Amino acid sequence: MSVCQVQAPTQVPLGLVIGWLAYTVVTLAGVAMIWGLITAIANKPPGKAQLLFAAFLEIVVVVQSLIAAVYLLLGFRPAELATTIGYLIGIVILIPVAWLWANSERTRFSGVVLAVAALAVLGMTLRLLELWIPPLLR
Amino acid sequence: MSEQPLRPTNTGPGRILIAVYGIFALAACARAGVQVATKFAEAPLAYLLSAAAGVIYIVATVTLGRGSRTSWRVALVAILIEAVGVLCVGTASLVDPAAFPKATVWSAYGIGYGFVPLVLPFLGLAWLIKTRPR
Repeated sequence: MSVCQVQAPTQVPLGLVIGWLAYTVVTLAGVAMIWGLITAIANKPPGKAQLLFAAFLEIVVVVQSLIAAVYLLLGFRPAELATTIGYLIGIVILIPVAWLWANSERTRFSGVVLAVAALAVLGMTLRLLELWIPPLLR
Repeated sequence: MSEQPLRPTNTGPGRILIAVYGIFALAACARAGVQVATKFAEAPLAYLLSAAAGVIYIVATVTLGRGSRTSWRVALVAILIEAVGVLCVGTASLVDPAAFPKATVWSAYGIGYGFVPLVLPFLGLAWLIKTRPR
């Protein structure tokens, strides 16, 4: 219990930084998902701007995982540590793999592949947020 | 030439299916890894089922991604097991919740993943029928 008491004051600001970043990721991933579906409906492979946007999303996701990793190293403990670490690593892999997969056969379906990966990033970020910030602090 | 199916599983809409299978392979394996490493004693059956689901998703992802005649057959077996698995585990987790104190990807037919685990094997089977080797 003494450990919890020592850490309690630092949890609020740390949670807020992660929350702000996470909502940015959720928004970007949502846009990437809709964009992918739009190009699929339009029967076009993903364009250059769309692929750059996906790369930008990936950068923000990596930043999120790195900042979270620093907090964990500094001693911050989310609701489920092992699950959180799994999510922080797993979430970084999705967009690059989907990016390569979408580009190795460029059709309308490439956009859906990017959309699926973006949806997974979105869902994982919401779950991370849930694990990271206790509901009372939100 | 006769070695190739009429339409390989790894082209067109099949690529979406492979992407979804890949994500579930990652999700199920990561989940199983975390559970087996941290709380295996709490619910060994549930965690082994998570791991089994992860292996099946990996096999389905790889075999659908290869798109050869042999991989089509292996994919069919894997996805049939997946369909039986999600139906059995889904039903068992509702009938006897005590046996599944911790969630697996297939608990309550994959409710934790928007029921995608329930729909996925049937989409997989439909795609395999469409791309069956002749």
